[in-house]
Amino acid sequence: MAAPVNSVGKPSPERLPLNTTSFQKKTRSKLISIPGTRPSVQNGQLLVSTGVTSLDYLLGGGLAVGTVLLVEEDRYDSYSRMILKYFLSEGVVCRHELFVATAQDDPDDILQELPAPILDDVAIHKPLEQPLLSCEPSNSLDAMKIAWRYQNLPKVQSALASSSRFGHYYDVSKTMEPEIRQAAKCHRFYLPEHPTLSSPTHSPVLESYSALLKSLQDIIHKEGFDVAAPMSRPRNILRIGLHSLGSALWGDDLTCHDNPAHRHALTTFLYGLRALLRSSLAVAVVTVSSHLIQDRALMGSITRLCDNAIALESFKGSERETNPLYKDYHGLLHVRQVPHLNCLASQLPDHKDLAFKLKRKQFTIEVLLDSPLTTWTRCVQSISSCW
Amino acid sequence: MLPELLQSTDAGGLLIIRDFASFSGRHLLKSFINASLNRNEAVHVLGFEISKEELKHGLKEPNNQRLHIHDAFSDPLGWTDHPAFTVQQFSFEELTHLITQTSQHKPVNLVIDSLSWILRHVSPTVVCKTLQQLKKGGAVRSIIGLLHADMHQNGTVGSVCHLATSVITVTPGTKRDEAVAKITKRSKSGKVMQDEEMFIINEDLTVTIQNKPNHAGSKRTDSEEQESDPTANLTFNLRLSDTEREAKEKLALPFVFSKEKKTALLHSGPGSGRILYEPDANDNYDQEDPDDDLDV
Repeated sequence: MAAPVNSVGKPSPERLPLNTTSFQKKTRSKLISIPGTRPSVQNGQLLVSTGVTSLDYLLGGGLAVGTVLLVEEDRYDSYSRMILKYFLSEGVVCRHELFVATAQDDPDDILQELPAPILDDVAIHKPLEQPLLSCEPSNSLDAMKIAWRYQNLPKVQSALASSSRFGHYYDVSKTMEPEIRQAAKCHRFYLPEHPTLSSPTHSPVLESYSALLKSLQDIIHKEGFDVAAPMSRPRNILRIGLHSLGSALWGDDLTCHDNPAHRHALTTFLYGLRALLRSSLAVAVVTVSSHLIQDRALMGSITRLCDNAIALESFKGSERETNPLYKDYHGLLHVRQVPHLNCLASQLPDHKDLAFKLKRKQFTIEVLLDSPLTTWTRCVQSISSCW
Repeated sequence: MLPELLQSTDAGGLLIIRDFASFSGRHLLKSFINASLNRNEAVHVLGFEISKEELKHGLKEPNNQRLHIHDAFSDPLGWTDHPAFTVQQFSFEELTHLITQTSQHKPVNLVIDSLSWILRHVSPTVVCKTLQQLKKGGAVRSIIGLLHADMHQNGTVGSVCHLATSVITVTPGTKRDEAVAKITKRSKSGKVMQDEEMFIINEDLTVTIQNKPNHAGSKRTDSEEQESDPTANLTFNLRLSDTEREAKEKLALPFVFSKEKKTALLHSGPGSGRILYEPDANDNYDQEDPDDDLDV
């Protein structure tokens, strides 16, 4: 059953999507229904949307509540910042609470740049609807002489999307209206506002990270996001966006030195963050400039400490920009890790060669159809499906 | 893009010139100082690597009132009792104090020669923090820094350049005085522009742009070659003449259905699984048991 999501802003009559009945399954789960979430079909976890529907599909339907998504930034931090903005905009539209922590730009700057949601139903259609049948069948029949049975079928499905209407779409060229944005409660943490002394002791956690963790803990406890909190008031989800952790502005020399002195600061923080999230109704998206981190083993342990991990590689500035294979896309997307929560194995996406493109109304992630790995995978799949 | 950067008056920018042992970026740095002075802006220079006189050499107006060179060359680590400028003074508060003391409230450009010297004595995290504070704060309008990229680890250079709004990497070109500049500029909206240019710095520290480097030209001829016609130069004929094309279109196709049947098949409603079967000439469509002839 698909619960219709409340739209923010102009009140519109609730329109049920096509083909649903009024039949509602009686659920015996203890999960209270929180707006903007849905249970996963794979393992029953409560999922929230990341704001990008293609990314939801790759992560197995959405981000599970209580997990961390690690986004490895592209070279100039343009697309990872965009994903963070999508994540926060989705929180505003679903009426979740937000928490933004940055060291470089003021969190208010990020909040002012949030893209505007597309709220009418016309734009939120399945990306590959069958084209409307024209009233002149002869024209359509002449289109293909031999393969006329395939005329009305859509072209090869290369865009990835979940089947249900879970996430929303955003228009990148417009910013979210202030009324909509101010309706959402937002907590901010801007590092220069928290004066920390540079710790001379050899503590594993940096002052900046411990201040951030403490601030998060306070907010979760005060605002009632603990799972164990009394259910007196309606429950909500806290969306946490942490921008560019591990960079020099957080006081961490992970990106500066090949052999960093604060080797375990970020990993300790992530460990504490994950422990905090597991016992609260919160989701976190963390961006890290992984291209500056020289120690790959350390990057590996950072990836392992987060539940979901994706890496963005933009073509800007690299020699791949002129490669004709990549001319339609803005960059490659690598799925480094997908979590297996309460189950033995995780659902990795079928295709490994994924590319993304930031269009005005959608951030699409598509399978690179012409790449050798994709053709090999599809070959194997078609052969194995014969048996 | 280099001339635009030289003449730009954007506020809040950090421009980093990355150079190597094979080609020094100091002349380009002096061009920036010159261009800034020509626009009647105040320039504060932190000179760590070369002396005041050497820095002034070649500038158009070395005794300009608006040019303030802070001598950090003579005693940068404070070994004597009265150092002019030490490396420990590279912090946001001290620099702001220094600048507001010596300048009236005019837009000030801060030129650092060089950031590499500072990075050897102050940790990169502190340097990055200071640069970020200077970028945001009001005392300095723009910062230009020289960074010797081969003196530091990749991570350090990357972290500092990550903060910059524009990065110019200079490498030696093919001819003697020429150099190649790779420019990356980040605009406020998040757009990234890149360019590669060959330039020469003249005697009076103005910059002349030469043609773009050669390998851009060869890339263009490659793509032209790929578009050549694959059906040419074959030992067999893959093309159709007009009569042949007509004959091909007149050919009766095997599964020719009537138009009504085609539309019925194409526009079948959802969920209706009709099987439309037209028995062929060879089919033995018998309503009774088709396996009658089997002797089982």
